[in-house]
Amino acid sequence: MISCRKCRDMMIEALYGELRPADRESFDAHLRACPDCASEYSIMGATLRVMDERRRPDPGPEFWDTYWDRLAARLDVTDKAPAVRPQAVPLSARLGRLFSGLPGWTWQAAAGAALVVVGILIGRSIVSPPGQPAGLVSAVQNPAAASAVPASNDPSERARRYLDRSQVLLLGLVNYNPKTQDLYALDLDGKKTACRELSLQAADIQSSLKDPRQKRLKELVSDLQIIMMQIANLGAGNDLEGVDLIKQGVEQRDIFLKIDLTRMTLGAAGPQGPSARPGSQASGAADKAKMRI
Amino acid sequence: MMDEKDIINGLAASDPTAFREFVEQYKKKVYFLALDVVGNPVDAEDVSQEVFLKVYRSFGTFNREARLGSWLYRVTYNAGIDHLRRKALIPEAVEDEALEARSRGEAPLSASSAFSDPAATAEARQLQAKIALALEKVSPQEKAVFLLRHYNDLKLKEIAETLHLSTGSVKSYLFRAVKKLQRELGAPDVTGGMEVSHD
Repeated sequence: MISCRKCRDMMIEALYGELRPADRESFDAHLRACPDCASEYSIMGATLRVMDERRRPDPGPEFWDTYWDRLAARLDVTDKAPAVRPQAVPLSARLGRLFSGLPGWTWQAAAGAALVVVGILIGRSIVSPPGQPAGLVSAVQNPAAASAVPASNDPSERARRYLDRSQVLLLGLVNYNPKTQDLYALDLDGKKTACRELSLQAADIQSSLKDPRQKRLKELVSDLQIIMMQIANLGAGNDLEGVDLIKQGVEQRDIFLKIDLTRMTLGAAGPQGPSARPGSQASGAADKAKMRI
Repeated sequence: MMDEKDIINGLAASDPTAFREFVEQYKKKVYFLALDVVGNPVDAEDVSQEVFLKVYRSFGTFNREARLGSWLYRVTYNAGIDHLRRKALIPEAVEDEALEARSRGEAPLSASSAFSDPAATAEARQLQAKIALALEKVSPQEKAVFLLRHYNDLKLKEIAETLHLSTGSVKSYLFRAVKKLQRELGAPDVTGGMEVSHD
């Protein structure tokens, strides 16, 4: 049988269930034979049970539900300065290669033009039904149009614009087909830059959506923020594998469907109708019926 | 839900989805450990967020042989201690009474429970105050070990890793902590108040 000293050495591990089974047997055997050790062990256990009653103030579900938003906002604020600097490298390198000597705005124009190509390709498979505003198609063709609208102070309006811009970007990515399209049509570097900006805006928009009725809208902006960050963080060069993973994520999370539903909730007063993406659940049965492929 | 391996791989690749999953899985543990160390909810949130930001930015320092949880708790514990050190250099201008009460470990009780049984509420408050007082009587090292084991579910070996101690020292600190708490709380009623001392 083990000694009282040995038994005492084992008490902490025994109290916290960390004794090996073999040791536990000899420990229990000692306690059965030694009332002093049994009593000490019992008192220590009782002390721990009293300590179990200690309450740490739980900040509550709202605190936990919004924890990520606050952290993401903080991440954005603290990362803003370094986030801008790295963009200069690929930007200048690309400009140097393609349009050496041209001013910076030409790059944005080139990105816009590349997206126009994507828009035209999408247009082959998507045609707006008669009478329906062709906002989405025009926005895809000219993403600058979606962002060139003057900034609004209305949180819902800002969020709606955010959805529009994100959707345009995602459509360009999701509809890209490497077998039939040139890599320049994808314009991944341009998209990464735009996504970085969008992910930064998301935190600000989320924090402005304070009305409890805007919870879903806020969640969607948060989902989009993650996707924007994923795109912004895609590997250097043409990370087509990463693009595929993002496509899958967009599909699995029904992002286009959620954007459509949210836009409907917001009144659908914007320039863009439902996201008509062929083969997507986002289109919904009614939307599919309207589409001509 | 991602498993630990996926999260580690994701964090190493700066994958925001993995980072979010990581935050969702660990936010409560990190917050409550920070609360244990710094003693008030406002600072605890601040420290917990600092910890996550630090992890996001410097995950490269994580040794993949180690357990993610242990490493995270070590980062949290150290961030809490650093926070206290920094705070000690800046005197508080105004002490919020509610905050102070919370830091003493007095949990806010819901209005319904207070109205339904005032006697029980008073008793609960007394117990919380007694526990908080008892915890103040143990040394910082004993307290750290006790908090990590009893409230944050770290194994003895993990505590040893976290605090850079041997497992034997951790056991020893913990034993002494329990004994001191036992004295401060008064011997629980299992043996009619008798304090055991033998060997």
